[in-house]
Amino acid sequence: MATTADHFQAHTEDHGHHGHDHEHKPAFFARWFMSTNHKDIGTMYLIFAIFAGVVGGAISGIMRAELAQPGIQYLGFFAKMVGDNPTDFNATLHMWNVLITAHGLIMVFFMVMPAIIGGFGNWFVPIMIGAPDMAFPRMNNISFWLTVAGFCSLMCSPFVPGGTGMGAGTGWTVYAPLSTSGSVGPAVDFGIFALHLAGAGSIMGAINFITTIFNMRAPGMTIHKMPLFVWSVLVTAFLLLLALPVLAAAITMLLTDRNFGTTFFDASGGGDPVLYQHLFWFFGHPEVYIMILPGFGIISQIVSTFSKKPVFGYLGMAYAMVAIGVVGFIVWAHHMYATGLSVNTKMYFTAATMVIAVPTGVKIFSWIATMWGGSIEFKSPMVWAIGFIFLFTVGGVTGVVLANGGVDDVLHDTYYVVAHFHYVLSLGAVTALFAGFYYWFPKMSGRMHSEFLAHVHFWIFFVGVNMIFFPMHFLGLQGMPRRYPDYAEAFTYWNHFATVGYMVMSASMVVWFVNIIYAFTAGKKAPANYWGEGATTLEWTLSSPPPYHQFETLPVIDETVHH
Amino acid sequence: MAGTKNHDYHILPPDIAPLATTLGAFTFTTGMVLFMHKMPGGAFVPWLGMALLLASMFMWFSKIVNEGHAGDHTPVVQLHQRYGMILFIASEVMFFVGWFWAFFDFSLFPSKLAEVVGGQWPPKAIEAVMDPFALPLLNTLILLCSGTTVTWAHHSLIHGDRDGLKKGLWATILLGVFFSFIQGYEYLHAPFGFGGNTYGSAFYMATGFHGFHVIVGTIMLIVCLVRAYKGDFTPRQHFGFEAAAWYWHFVDVVWLFLFVSVYVWGGWGYATH
Amino acid sequence: MTGAFVALVVGATPAFAQATAAAAPAAGSYTPMKPTPGIGMPVDGGIGLQKQFSPTGEYGAWLHHGLLWIIGLICLFVLALLVIIAVRFNRRANPVASKTSHNTALEVAWTLLPVLVLIAIAVPSIDLIAKQYKPAPESALTIKITGNQWFWTYGYPDNGDFEVISNMLNIPGQPTINNGIREVGTRPWDGPSHLEVDNRMVVPAGEPIRLQITAADVIHSFAVPSLWFKLDAVPGRINERVLFVEKPGVYYGQCSELCGAKHGYMPIAVEALPRDKYNAWVLTHAGGLIDGKKKPVAATAAAAPAAPATDASAAPAGEASAEAE
Ligand code: HEA
Ligand code: HEA
Ligand code: CUA
Ligand SMILES: [Cu+2]
Repeated sequence: MATTADHFQAHTEDHGHHGHDHEHKPAFFARWFMSTNHKDIGTMYLIFAIFAGVVGGAISGIMRAELAQPGIQYLGFFAKMVGDNPTDFNATLHMWNVLITAHGLIMVFFMVMPAIIGGFGNWFVPIMIGAPDMAFPRMNNISFWLTVAGFCSLMCSPFVPGGTGMGAGTGWTVYAPLSTSGSVGPAVDFGIFALHLAGAGSIMGAINFITTIFNMRAPGMTIHKMPLFVWSVLVTAFLLLLALPVLAAAITMLLTDRNFGTTFFDASGGGDPVLYQHLFWFFGHPEVYIMILPGFGIISQIVSTFSKKPVFGYLGMAYAMVAIGVVGFIVWAHHMYATGLSVNTKMYFTAATMVIAVPTGVKIFSWIATMWGGSIEFKSPMVWAIGFIFLFTVGGVTGVVLANGGVDDVLHDTYYVVAHFHYVLSLGAVTALFAGFYYWFPKMSGRMHSEFLAHVHFWIFFVGVNMIFFPMHFLGLQGMPRRYPDYAEAFTYWNHFATVGYMVMSASMVVWFVNIIYAFTAGKKAPANYWGEGATTLEWTLSSPPPYHQFETLPVIDETVHH
Repeated sequence: MAGTKNHDYHILPPDIAPLATTLGAFTFTTGMVLFMHKMPGGAFVPWLGMALLLASMFMWFSKIVNEGHAGDHTPVVQLHQRYGMILFIASEVMFFVGWFWAFFDFSLFPSKLAEVVGGQWPPKAIEAVMDPFALPLLNTLILLCSGTTVTWAHHSLIHGDRDGLKKGLWATILLGVFFSFIQGYEYLHAPFGFGGNTYGSAFYMATGFHGFHVIVGTIMLIVCLVRAYKGDFTPRQHFGFEAAAWYWHFVDVVWLFLFVSVYVWGGWGYATH
Repeated sequence: MTGAFVALVVGATPAFAQATAAAAPAAGSYTPMKPTPGIGMPVDGGIGLQKQFSPTGEYGAWLHHGLLWIIGLICLFVLALLVIIAVRFNRRANPVASKTSHNTALEVAWTLLPVLVLIAIAVPSIDLIAKQYKPAPESALTIKITGNQWFWTYGYPDNGDFEVISNMLNIPGQPTINNGIREVGTRPWDGPSHLEVDNRMVVPAGEPIRLQITAADVIHSFAVPSLWFKLDAVPGRINERVLFVEKPGVYYGQCSELCGAKHGYMPIAVEALPRDKYNAWVLTHAGGLIDGKKKPVAATAAAAPAAPATDASAAPAGEASAEAE
C-alpha cells in the first residue's frame, strides 16, 4: 500500500506535540454518552466487546465443566439461580439450551462483531483513509447504543419463562417451531428483540462505513490504494447491509407466529419450518464472512508491517474478498443438507460452497508470499497473525469437508461442525482480534504493552484452544451430536480432554488482563510509529493516541507511490 | 492549528439524541414483550417507548434541518446523505425480499399436509380473495399518480416555482392518505382473516409492512410540505425533499411487485369478493 | 443357524451368538439382539468414523478418507511454508526485505490448483449424493418415523400398520428421564446407556427400506452414524430416503436437531434382522401382518393385546423369559 508515512511525517509530528494541549475534549458524560467521535465510539465498542467476550467465555466455561463427564452435574444449580424449580429435571436440561443459545448469540453478535467492525473498524477505517471522522458521527453513536440495548434485551431472557424452563433455549439459530410453539413465554421474544436492536445498529453502521469509505478518502487515496483492512470493512459492510434485513424479516415472522396468530412456520396452518431456515441462513452464511473478513484485513496489515514488504498481490487480495462476499450469498443451504433438500439443490449447494475455497486460498497463499523474502520481526501481532493463518486453514478445510452434501449427512449437527466453526471463529476471528489488539493497543491507549506477556498469552492460548477444539473433530466423526448436555460413556475421553484445554486457555486470558493492567500502570509511552519501517499506513503518522480530531488538514497521498 | 478545520466534512458536537432514541427503542421492545405476554405495564410501556422514540427522532431530524440552515451541509456532506439514503433503501429492499420469499414459498409450494391449505393456492380455507382489478387496481393507479405528482413538485422546486412545489406535495400527500384509507377499508372488508393460514399471514404481513412504509413516506412528505411553507429548500439544495421523493418511489415500486404477484398472480382464477 | 450366521458377519462374541441362537425364528417370537461392542456405536476414545454398514456408508467413508488426506496435506503444506518462512526470512537470516509484490504465474497457479483439487473432490461427491437419492423400488418395505418431544414412533404400514413407541432407557444414578421406563443394563441385550431404548426400530437386513420421516411437534432429526443416515423430521413435511442395512446387528443413533429440553435423551436404536426373524418380530404385534396376510399369531396376540412387544419396562425382571418365549 501507499507509503505515505514519510511523506506526511513532518506535518503530524508537529501536530502531535502541540495538538494535545488545546484540544477541547468534552466533559465525561458528554464524551462517553453523547459521543460523536469515531475513536471514542470505537473504544466503547472494544470495552463492550471485551465485557461480552468475558461473559460468553464464562458461559462456555460452565458448558465445558458440565461436559467434562457424562451425566448432569451443574445445570441444576444454574437453573435454580435463574429461578427454576430445582426438582423439575426438564427445566434443568432446558438450562443447557439456554447456555448454548446465550453463548452463541453473545459471541457472534456482541463480541466478534462489535470488536472487529465496531471497535477496530471505527478506530482505523477513517484514519487509514485520511478522514477526520465517520460520515455520520451521530448515527455512529446510535449504532453502538443499539448494540448495548440488544445485549440488555438478551440478558433479560434467562430470567423469564421460555417454555420448558427459564430462558430462551432455541440455539443461536432460533429454528421454528421450537422457537415458536415450542417455547411459550417471554424469553424468546426478548431474544428476538435483541436481534432486532443489534441488527438495526449494524445496518446503520454498515451505511456509515460504506458512505465513509466511498466519500471521505483523502486526496490521492484511490480505491485501489486503500489499505486492505479498509477493503475488508467495505465488503463486510455490504454483506451486513444486504443480509441483516432478511434476518429482520425472518425473526419478525417468528414474532408474529408466536404472538399474533400467523402461520409462517406453523405446519398446521400450511407454514413451513424449512422456510425459516432458508431465511436464517441466507443471512447466516454471509454472517460468518462478516465475522472473518475484517480479520483478514487486520492480518494483511500485520503481515505486511512485520515482513517490511508491501502486501503480495494487492488487487488479488482485495478482489478475493469481494468474491468471497458475492459467492457467500449463494451457498446458504449447505447448513440444511439434512432437511430433505431435493437432489439437485443439494448438488448445486455442494459445488457452489466449495468454490469459496478458491478465493480464500488466494488470501492464504498471498499472505505467505508476502512473508516470503521478507525480513520478519516476530513481534506479538505477527505471532498471532501467523497463528491465525494456520488455525484458519485448519478450520477452513474442514468446512470444505462439510460442504460435500453426501459427507455432511454423517457430520451435520455433530461436534465435527462445532470443531469447524470454532477453528474459524474462536481460533480464527478471535486470534485475528488479539493480533489486531496487540498491533493497535499502544496506538489507541498511548501505552506500550509487554511484548513478553503478549507472547506468553499467545502460546498458552494456542495450546489451550487446540486442546479444546481439535478433539471435537474426533467426537464428531464418532457421531456425538451437538447441543447435548450429556453423552454416552464412549465420548468421555475427548470431552474431558477438551475441558482440560479450557483451563489452559483460561490461564492465557489471565495473562492478557495482566498485560493490559501492566500497560496502563507501568507501560512505556508509545511513540507515533512503534513498529518501525514496515508500518506504512496513515495511523502511524499520527501520535499515540491520535489527537482528538485528526486530519484537520487532510493528508495528501502521493500519486507516485505504488503498492 | 488544532481546532482549525480545513475540510468540508461535518464534525459534530456531542449529542444526546442517539442515546435517547436508543432508550426509546429499548423501552418500546421491552414494552412489547410485556404487552404480548399480558404482563404488568404491557398497556402503557410500549406507548411510552414509542413516544420517547418519536420525540427523540423529531429532535434528531430537527437538528439536521437546522444544521442544513447553518450551512453545515457542504456539497460533500450532501453527497454523504445521498449515499446514506440509497443504502438505506437498499436495505429496505432486502427486508421486503424476506416477505416475498415467504409469499412465493407458500404460493408455489402450497402444503399438502395442512388441511387448511390442501395443496392449493389460495389455500382451501380461503373462500374468496380480493378482486385485484377493483380497489387494488385503483390503489395502483393512485400510487402511480402520486409518483408523477412528486416529480411535478420536484421539477417545480428545481425551477423555482414554489407554488408548483406546494401543489405537487399537497397532491402527493393526499394521494398517499387516500391510498392508506383504501387499504384500511380493504383490510376491514377482506373476505379472509389475518391468522390461521399462510394466505392471511403472507398477505397481511407483506401488504401491511408496505402500508407502514406508505405512512412513513407520507409523514416525510408532510414534513417537506411544512418546510416548503416555511421557505426551506432552494433550487440547488433540497436533499430533504429528494430523500422523501426517493423513498416514495421505492414504496411505489414495492407496491407494483405486490400488486402483480400477490394480488393478480396470487389469486388468479379464484373466487373474488 | 441364523444366529451363527449373524455372529459370523458382524464378528460377534460367543455370548452374542448364544443370545441370538437361543431364539429360533418361530412365528411371533422375538428376543432383542445383543449388540456387539464397538459396532453401530461410538468406541471409547475413538478418533474416526464409525464402521459403516450400508453401501452409501462405505462410499461416504471412502470419500471422507480421501478428503482427510487432501485436507491433511493442505494443512501440512501451509504449516511447512510457515516454518520455512520463520527459518529463512526472519530478521537475522534475511536483514534486507525484498520488494517483490507480484508474480502472475504464481498467482495463476494458486488459483488453478485449488480449482483442480476441488473438481477432483466434486466428482465423487456429487456421485455420492446421486446414489443416496436413488428412490427405493416400488416393492420396498415402508417404515414411517415420527419424531416427538422426546421419543420416536415407528409405524409399519406394510405390516398391518402397527406402531412402536421408542423411549430411551433411564440411566442408573441419574434423575429419571422417562417415567415408567426401566433402567439400562437390566436386560442381557441392553446396549450402552444414553443410546439404548425400550423398543427398537426393527428392520429387515439386506434389502432397501423406504423411510418416511416427519415430526409431531418441533423439528427432530433421525440419525444413525454407522448407517450414514441423517434426515430431519420436520412437522408438515414427509422426508423420504432409502435405508439399506447390509448385515444384521444393532445400530445406534441420536436425535440430531435441537428439539427442546430432552433433545439429548431421545436416541435411536435400529435392529436389523434377517427377513425371517423380522417377520417373526412383526407377528409379535397385535395386528401384525406379513405380505398383507394375517398369519396365526397364537398366544402372543392374546398375551399382549394392545401393547406390541414392549420391552415392558414396568414389568418385573423375571418377565424377560416370557418375552423370549
Ligand atoms: C468465521 C466463520 C466461518 C467461516 C470463515 C467459515 C468458512 C467455511 N465454512 Fe463454515 N460455519 C461457520 C462459520 C464459518 N465457516 C459456523 C458458525 C457454522 C455453524 C453454524 C451452526 O450450525 O450453528 C458453519 C457451518 C458450516 C457448514 C454446515 C455444517 C453443518 O451444519 O452440517 C458448512 C457446510 O458446507 C460450512 C462450510 C464452510 C466452508 C466451505 C467455508 C470456507 O469459506 C472455508 C474456506 C477456507 C479454506 C478452504 C482454507 C484455506 C484455503 C486453502 C489453503 C486453499 C486450498 C484449499 C482447498 C483446495 C480445499 N460451514
Ligand atoms: C465467535 C464465536 C465463538 C467463540 C469465540 C466461542 C468460544 C468458545 N466456545 Fe463456542 N459456540 C459458538 C460461537 C463461539 N464460541 C456458537 C455460534 C455455538 C453454537 C451455539 C448453538 O448451538 O446454538 C457455540 C457452541 C459451543 C459449544 C457446543 C455446545 C453444544 O453444542 O452443546 C461448545 C462446547 O464446548 C463451545 C465452547 C466454546 C469454548 C470453550 C470457547 C472458548 O474459546 C471461549 C474462550 C473465550 C474466548 C477465547 C473469547 C475471549 C475474547 C474476548 C475476551 C474479547 C476479546 C476482544 C478484543 C481483543 C477486542 N461453544
Ligand atoms: Cu429430538 Cu432433538
Ligand atoms: Cu455457511
